[in-house]
Amino acid sequence: MTRPAEASLLTAAAIVAAFGVALVNFARDDGVDAQVALTFGVFAMAFGAMYWATERWASRSTPLLFPLVALLTAVGFIEVYRIDPGLGSDQRWWLLASAGAAVLVLWWLRDEGVALLRRYRYLFLVGAIGLLLMPLLPESWPLHGAEINGSRLWVRLDLPGTPDAASFQPGEVAKLLVVAFLASFLAERHQTLRVMQRKIGPVHVPEPRQAVPVLIAFGMAFVVLIYQRDLGASLLLFAVFVTMLYAATGRHSYLAGGGFLAIGGGVAAWLAFDHVQVRVSAWLHPFDDFLGTGYQVAQSLFALGSGSLTGSGLGIGRPDLIPAAATDYVFAAVAEETGLAGSMAVLAGFALLVGVGMGVAIHSRDLFRKLLAAGLTLTLGIQTFLIIAGVVRLLPVTGIALPFMSYGGSSLLANMVAVALLVRISHEERT
Amino acid sequence: MNLPIQRLAMILFAAFALLVAMVSYDQAIAGPRYRDDSRNARVALDRAGRERGGIVTADGEIVAESVADASDTQSFQRTYPHGSLYAHLVGYTSAIFGDSGLERSRAGALASDRDSTISGLLDALAGEDLRAKGLRITVNHELQQIATAALGDQTGAVVALDPATGAVLAMVSNPSFDPNVLVTLGATEAGDALESDPATPLTNRAIRELYAPGSTFKVLTAAAAIESGSTTTDTLFPNPGELDLPGTDATISNFADGSCGGTEQVTFQIAFALSCNTVFGIIGMEVGGGDLVAQAEAAGFNTEVPFEFDVVASAIPTADEFVNDLPAVAQTALGERDVRVTPLQMAMVAAAVANDGVVMTPYLVAEVTDADGQVLETTRPTVWRRAFSPATATVLEDLMERVITSGTGTRASVPRVRVGGKTGTPEREIGAPDAWFIGFGPVNAGPDERSIAVAVLVESGGDAGESATGGTVAAPIAQQLLAFWLAGTN
Repeated sequence: MTRPAEASLLTAAAIVAAFGVALVNFARDDGVDAQVALTFGVFAMAFGAMYWATERWASRSTPLLFPLVALLTAVGFIEVYRIDPGLGSDQRWWLLASAGAAVLVLWWLRDEGVALLRRYRYLFLVGAIGLLLMPLLPESWPLHGAEINGSRLWVRLDLPGTPDAASFQPGEVAKLLVVAFLASFLAERHQTLRVMQRKIGPVHVPEPRQAVPVLIAFGMAFVVLIYQRDLGASLLLFAVFVTMLYAATGRHSYLAGGGFLAIGGGVAAWLAFDHVQVRVSAWLHPFDDFLGTGYQVAQSLFALGSGSLTGSGLGIGRPDLIPAAATDYVFAAVAEETGLAGSMAVLAGFALLVGVGMGVAIHSRDLFRKLLAAGLTLTLGIQTFLIIAGVVRLLPVTGIALPFMSYGGSSLLANMVAVALLVRISHEERT
Repeated sequence: MNLPIQRLAMILFAAFALLVAMVSYDQAIAGPRYRDDSRNARVALDRAGRERGGIVTADGEIVAESVADASDTQSFQRTYPHGSLYAHLVGYTSAIFGDSGLERSRAGALASDRDSTISGLLDALAGEDLRAKGLRITVNHELQQIATAALGDQTGAVVALDPATGAVLAMVSNPSFDPNVLVTLGATEAGDALESDPATPLTNRAIRELYAPGSTFKVLTAAAAIESGSTTTDTLFPNPGELDLPGTDATISNFADGSCGGTEQVTFQIAFALSCNTVFGIIGMEVGGGDLVAQAEAAGFNTEVPFEFDVVASAIPTADEFVNDLPAVAQTALGERDVRVTPLQMAMVAAAVANDGVVMTPYLVAEVTDADGQVLETTRPTVWRRAFSPATATVLEDLMERVITSGTGTRASVPRVRVGGKTGTPEREIGAPDAWFIGFGPVNAGPDERSIAVAVLVESGGDAGESATGGTVAAPIAQQLLAFWLAGTN
C-alpha cells in the first residue's frame, strides 16, 4: 500500500464519521447540521496532522496503522455521539489533543528514533509507579484521587475558579511507560533471564535476583487491584509483564508461572474482595439478581440480542439503557445498532491492528524496537480482548476502556501515542 | 525472539476467535431470547412509543388515541379517554401484560407498518400507505354510557344489538378497569392487582362467562312448542301449584310458590307472561329433549359465535342425554339444570325474535379507515343462522310484548313504544339469584325502522340481593336502553 492510498483511507474514515453523525441526526429528526461538518473537519484535521507528521518524520513507515485506527475511532465516536452528543463533542477535542500528542512524539523522536526512549527508562518506571499511585492522593489536595463507579482510578485537578474539575485516568498513560521500561530492561537482560538452572520440582526457575522484576510486576498489579479496586488495569498490567517476559526469553515457564499466578491471584481476589465476587456472580448468573448486580451484564446481553444480525440502525436502538454505554460498554452499543455485522467488523479491525503491530515487531531487527513494538501491540490486543470478553460475557467484566472507541481522553491519547510509536518503529526498520 | 512473538500473536488471534464465537452466540443464537426477554425494556419502549391508529364510536367519540410526547416527537403515548367505559371492547396494548380487546384483534390495522426494515423502506418508496389505520366501532357512545350508568356498581353485563344487522350498539361488563394504567411502563403492580382481583374485572362477562339463563330460556322452549305445531297462544295447559317430576322425589314449583294466576287451567300466552314454571315443565316434557336441544342449537347454542373476540359457546346437553330423563327435560325447559348461556347469546335470541327469526352475525367494527379518516373497509352485515321461522317469530313477539304489558316485565315498558321481553331469575349455587332480562323494540319493526335488542344480566341480584328478580332488577336497566334508543319512534 502506498502513502496516497493511506491518505484516501484516512479521508474515507473521516467521511464515515461524518456520515454516521448524519444518520444519528436523521434518527433524531435533527437533519444535517453543523455537527456533521464539524466531525468531518476534526477527523480530517487530526488524522491529516498525523499523516503530515508521518510523511515528514516517518516516511518509510507502514501505511496500514493509521487508517485502521481512524476507522475504529470513527465508529467509536459515532456511537459515543449517538449516546450523548455532549460527550461526542468532548471526544472531538480529545481526538485533536491525542493527534497533537502523537505528532509531538513523532517530532521528538525525529532524529534519534525510539532508541531515545531507552535513555529515560528508569524515569519511566518511577513515572509509571507514581502515576499508578496518583489516584490515592487525598481528597483535600487540589490534585487528588477520585472514585468513580467504585474504582479509584481517576485523578482530578480542582483549581480555584474552574467550575468543572479536569479528570484523567493516569493508568492509561502508566501502561505506556511500563511497556517502554520493560522493552528497554528486557532488551538488556533477556539473556540472564533465559538462564534457568534452578529447578523447583519439575519447573525451571530463573535466579531469584533475576526474577525481581517479575515480582515487582506482580506486586504493582496487586497494589492496583487492592487499593484502586481496578480488576481490569491490574490484569492488563500483569498480562503485559508476563507476555513481554515470554517474548524476550522464549521461556514457557514465564507464561506458565504467570498464568498460575494470575489464576491464583484471581481466586485470592475472589475470596478476599466483595466487589470481585459481585463481578463473578454477575458474569455467571446475570439474571439471578437482575435489578441488582446482574443489571449491567443483562442490559449488555439485551443490547447484543436486540441488535441481532444487522442491528437496529444508527440512532434507532436503545444503547442508552446500558449503564456506562459510552465507556466500558461501547462495544455492546455498537453491536446493538450495527448488529453482528458491525461487531464482526470492529473485531476484524482490532485483529488487523494486532496483526500489523505484531508484524512490525517480527520484522524489527533491533531487540529494543522489537520488544517495544510487541509490548505496545500486546497491550492494545490484551486490553481489547479483556473488555470485549467482559461485554460479551466470555469473562467477568473488568472495566477498562476499549482502545480508540470508548469515551475518554486519557485512553484515546495513550493509545494514539502507542500507535505513533509503532509507526515510528516500522519507519526505522525500513531504513 | 520471533518465535515467541509469533506464538503470542497466535494466542491473541485465538482469543479474538473466541470473542467472535461468543458474540455470534450472543447476537445470533441466543439473540432472539435476549431480545424478547420480558425484562428487556426495548420491547416495551418500542411498543409503547409507537403510534397506533385511533378508535372512534359510531357517533364519533374518540375512545383510543396515540398522543405524541411533548419531549420526543418520535414517541407516542396510548391513551383511552373514557377509561373503564370501553375497557372490555377497546382493550389495551401493554408491554407487560400483552394486548386485549380490539388492540389485540385489530393489532395489524392499528399498528403502523413504518419500521426500519428494508421491506418497509421499499414499501414506502413504492408509495404504500404505511401509517396506522383507524377503526370506527358500531357502539353508540350515549347508549354505552346509559348502560354503564344503569348497571351502576352491580356485577353483571349489558349487551345491545341492532337486530337487523347484528351491530353491537353497547356492550358493558362490570366490574371494569382503567386500561390507561396498563399501558404505562412499570404497570406491573397495577396489572398484577387486576389479574389477582377476585372480582375478575379483566373478564368481559358479556362473552366470557356462562350463566344459567333461567326463565329467559322459556323463549326457546316456547319457540319449540310453537314450531311443533300443537301449541298456539290460546292453547290451554293445566296449572298445578307444584309439578311432580316423574320417577323422582323432585318437584317444580312456581316462583315464590305462587299460583300463577290462580286458575286451574291457563293459556300459553298467560303462562309465558307470568312465567309459570309448572306449566313450562309440562310443555318441556311434551316437546321433548330432542326438539328442545334442536331449537336451542338453531339459535346458536353449542356453536362458537363468530365475533370480533372469542365468545364462550352457550351450552345445552345433547339430545342423547335427555332420553329417558324427563325431569332433566322439564328443568332445562325452565332454563335451569345444565343449560348455560352468555349475555351475548341471549341478546341474539331476542334479536332473532325481532328480526323474523334470523340471527345476524354480531360485529363490533363498522369501518377501517386510513390515517386521514378515509374509509378503507366497511363491514357488511351477514346472516349467521335462522333460529325460528318468520311465523314463530311473530308469535314470540306477541308473547314477549304481553310480558311487558301484563306480565313479569312491566318495568321495561316504554311510553308510546311497543316493546317485548322476558325476565329470568335463576338460582345460584351460592348467594342470591341472578337477575335476567332480554328484550327488543319496537314490536313489528318496519324494514328500515330503528330497532334494538338487549340482554341484561345482574349477578346475584345486584343491590337488591335475595329479593331481586329479573323483573325488578334487570328489566329497569333494559328499559333505559330501550327508552333512549326508541325515543321518537312510534
